[in-house]
Amino acid sequence: MTEVRSPSTRNELVAELAQATPRTRLLAGGTDLVRVLRQPGGEPDVLIDLSGLEELKAVRLDGETLHVGALTTFSQLQWDPLVREHALCLSLAAAQVGSTQIRNAGTLGGNVANASPCADGVTALTVLGADVTTVDGAGATRTRPIGEVVLGPSRTSLAYDEAVVGFAFPALGPEHRSAFSKIGSRTAVSVARLSCALVVRFDAAAGTLASVRVALGAVGEAAFRAAELERALEGRPADEETARLFAGGCVAAVQESIPGRYSLPYKQHAAVGLAYDAWNMLALSAPCEPAWA
Amino acid sequence: MQLVLTVNGMVHEIEARPTARLLDVLRDQVGLTGTKEGCAEGECGACTVIVDGQAVNSCVMLAVQARGKEILTVEGLAQDGELDLLQQKFVEYGAVQCGYCTPGMLMSAKALLMGNPVPSEQDIRIALAGNLCRCTGYSAIVAAVKAASGHEATPAMELPAEPAELAAEVTTDPDTLAAACEVVEAETGVTPGGPCAPSGLGDPFAASSPEGGE
Repeated sequence: MTEVRSPSTRNELVAELAQATPRTRLLAGGTDLVRVLRQPGGEPDVLIDLSGLEELKAVRLDGETLHVGALTTFSQLQWDPLVREHALCLSLAAAQVGSTQIRNAGTLGGNVANASPCADGVTALTVLGADVTTVDGAGATRTRPIGEVVLGPSRTSLAYDEAVVGFAFPALGPEHRSAFSKIGSRTAVSVARLSCALVVRFDAAAGTLASVRVALGAVGEAAFRAAELERALEGRPADEETARLFAGGCVAAVQESIPGRYSLPYKQHAAVGLAYDAWNMLALSAPCEPAWA
Repeated sequence: MQLVLTVNGMVHEIEARPTARLLDVLRDQVGLTGTKEGCAEGECGACTVIVDGQAVNSCVMLAVQARGKEILTVEGLAQDGELDLLQQKFVEYGAVQCGYCTPGMLMSAKALLMGNPVPSEQDIRIALAGNLCRCTGYSAIVAAVKAASGHEATPAMELPAEPAELAAEVTTDPDTLAAACEVVEAETGVTPGGPCAPSGLGDPFAASSPEGGE
């Protein structure tokens, strides 16, 4: 029968991880894992319940870096004043995860470790350029970029004795604007079919986009940055033509990431609307619409 | 494993499987079966309970995760035999049909009102987005929550003040029914099958049945 361990400090967590086997599972909010546990053969030897680790539930600004604990829930992220000020796209993504009940339980760390291809949190962390900090059974702390942790659907580089403890990324300042948009099969409680996170640094004096970061999720193996598109938009004025280029670039990125996939006709079309949604959230130009709208 | 849970203000000491869900422990061991299991995957909200003031799906939460926390279930809403205002409004607004989703609806709404006593309709709809109802639609439910929150709210539809009023419109008087059949026949040329008796309007399939054809 499964044994449950409930560490309440980081040292206790390390001690539990030191005993971990490949059949050990880590339990954060449980919104994904509890279903897995009930499947035949899903029972782990040891379940490390992380819910007692209060120190992993905080958001803190340290100089110009925002630190987000692995066990912060989506509800917390949705309303946290630091997240809203310095990482609005993460707050917007959190607000669109599942239902109120799911957001109250589900955590950002769980979202990453579960590595669903449609994880909204991963798209936001990708655009923010987040580093993931982990601790393992030997007590070693490692930090690596989100793209090196989430590798594909349900695939991560996390070892069985390694726990995500937090995320860190450059806090967005007043010169930044960020947005998150997603599309699913319905407007609420929806699993993303495509998600888009956007961060721009706006040069107010020149009226141009000094820098641009775009991430797309739920398309391809894992959320990714659209580097070519980012370069194409840099230095451009914040106008309707740029919005159109942005939408076109998102379509191209979608086409490139899932060539020939059955969902491509839908997703490339959806990418246009999604791109305009994200662009309009930045409120840098008058609201723009795609030509076919 | 030994678990100590505080449910509706009462402390329960329970011997449970380590991977038992909060839902199972509440229903099977604490004996509170008001909390329902629907989809068992966090989609439908029938199993919603309030843990430390927040609505959660008890089907995707293990009981161990609720240790040391205050758990509120639908059984904890009524006090001293008196329904909670929210429950009274659900009754008043006809927000209950089969009733299976109702405990979850009530708990999501209760959690909302605990944190936001005067929610907007949008707030209410967001709070209830994770609760599926396949009978009533949601208008009466939203109206009931609104009414319980101190807002002036109008019912989603005009409900008869008394069931008797509704019954009065459905006559069983044979003469009235016979007269109605004559009207139907005069206007449509179709004779409603069978005698015009309180038992009904005859066999609706008669006209299309092989023996009853042209």
